Amino acid sequence: MKKLIILFSVLSVLLFVRPLLFSTTISPDFNNTSVTVTNTPKADEEAFYSDAFKGINQFYHYTGFANAKWGNIIMILIGIIFIYLGIKYDYEPLLLIPIGAGVILGNIPFVPGNQTGIYEAGSVFNYLYFGVVKGIYPPLIFLGIGAMTDFSSLIANPKLMLLGAAAQIGVFATFLGALYLGFNLPEAGAIGIIGGADGPTAIFLSSKLANGVNLLPDGTTVKNLIGPIAIAAYSYMALVPVIQPPLMRLLVNKEDRKIKMKPPRAVSQKEKMIFPVVALLLTTFISPSALPLLGMLFFGNLLKESGRTERLADTARTKLIDIVTILLGVTVGASTQADIFITKDSMLIFGLGAISFVIATMGGLLFAKFMNLFLKGNNKINPLIGAAGVSAVPDSARVVHAEALKSDPSNYLLMHAMAPNVSGVIGSAIAAGIILSFLG
Amino acid sequence: MANILLFTDQMSQGYTILITGLVIVFCALLTLSLFFQHGLPVMLYLYKIITKGREKKIKDIKVEADKEFTGEIAAAISLALHMYLNEQHDNENAVLTIKQARKLYSPWSSKIYGIQNRIK
Repeated sequence: MKKLIILFSVLSVLLFVRPLLFSTTISPDFNNTSVTVTNTPKADEEAFYSDAFKGINQFYHYTGFANAKWGNIIMILIGIIFIYLGIKYDYEPLLLIPIGAGVILGNIPFVPGNQTGIYEAGSVFNYLYFGVVKGIYPPLIFLGIGAMTDFSSLIANPKLMLLGAAAQIGVFATFLGALYLGFNLPEAGAIGIIGGADGPTAIFLSSKLANGVNLLPDGTTVKNLIGPIAIAAYSYMALVPVIQPPLMRLLVNKEDRKIKMKPPRAVSQKEKMIFPVVALLLTTFISPSALPLLGMLFFGNLLKESGRTERLADTARTKLIDIVTILLGVTVGASTQADIFITKDSMLIFGLGAISFVIATMGGLLFAKFMNLFLKGNNKINPLIGAAGVSAVPDSARVVHAEALKSDPSNYLLMHAMAPNVSGVIGSAIAAGIILSFLG
Repeated sequence: MANILLFTDQMSQGYTILITGLVIVFCALLTLSLFFQHGLPVMLYLYKIITKGREKKIKDIKVEADKEFTGEIAAAISLALHMYLNEQHDNENAVLTIKQARKLYSPWSSKIYGIQNRIK
């Protein structure tokens, strides 16, 4: 009925613009839903106009202009900034542009109750958001990542795997920090994983722990922190080139930055095929809760390395991951609806996220220096690659490479840095599994 | 009071998760790296033995002369190989002959027929 009135009023506006200019009486009673449609032949012009105005007024109250709050406008501006950063500075445009567009979509003001918003059951966005809330998208992303990742540098030099573990200190330190700030255990666990620097893992864990559905032991429900956590994780991943270099310069002296590592040995195809199977078995037996992530990651890698399923691997690493990235980006962006997103918690999460990145980077760098104490001669590792232990594939590896080039233009660390980088992905997924098994 | 108790309890649980979590992550990746450092080479070596038999040392390989295989056959094979390897590009006759394939004039290529029989 309401919609009929709206339609009618729009038509009347189009046909009779004149009364808009001359009439001065606007009925304030726009909420009156029992308006009779003036299509009876006896209705005179006055009644017709007043009803039309009621319709227009009501239409106005359905528009974004009437419902806009400051929060919405601020968030829309943030969305535009995201898009601008993605286009102008090329900061992870594949993520920032969908998320930026999503932030705008999620913050268009609307009248609640018409199945419009992402948090209203039955709306289209709500259905797409389902993939985030139930943690469906992250494993699919991991499938694609597995199908793109070359683990050979890791197989050639397995000890670099420990750097990926060292960077997970960031996860657990942030977890503790969040507890100190008064978050509940599950919420703190979800916030901590930002330090894993892995967007899909962060979304997966927060969708399991801080989804606004689970009950706490004291009977209250946890807060829905998926939006802030995902945005924080992805923003800091995009900001890796800003956050990491100062820490590298602070913690690694000039001599160490010039260490050249011996080139990794050639890895046979057989080893590459065995890696996903063995790694899958070992890691998931240790941390079964991370099964959706690690299982898909190594399955994707097996598709790539088996040599027989190039078609599947190709789809997984191109079309499939693109589709899921689009859906994930837009829905995560749209989940930042101002009335739910702009809270004190979100600000705390952003602060904790930055700290966790710093701690994770420092953990990796310091552990690399520590490992160097036990390594001799040309087996020594360049401590810079420890910073790549935070996953953020492949940005942190690139940052390490660029930083090493600054101190020695002939020192190419990219291949070496990829090893802790991919082991960071495995490490953060295991960490997520552990947190989930403790708190889930 | 209950709140404070809950809080401290939460913190202690937090520390438990912190320590165990880190230890487990380290152990997991350590096992993985140890496997690939030491386990995998052994496995690949065993696989090789199973599929191809034990690697023999040079002195273990018996030199058996084939009576049928004379020096002439060896010379013929090596000559054939030599000729084959040196003839990556075979020499072609450099003389070009241009062969007239068809008549210079034919009603099919004559314009005069086309001009008079225009499609109306």
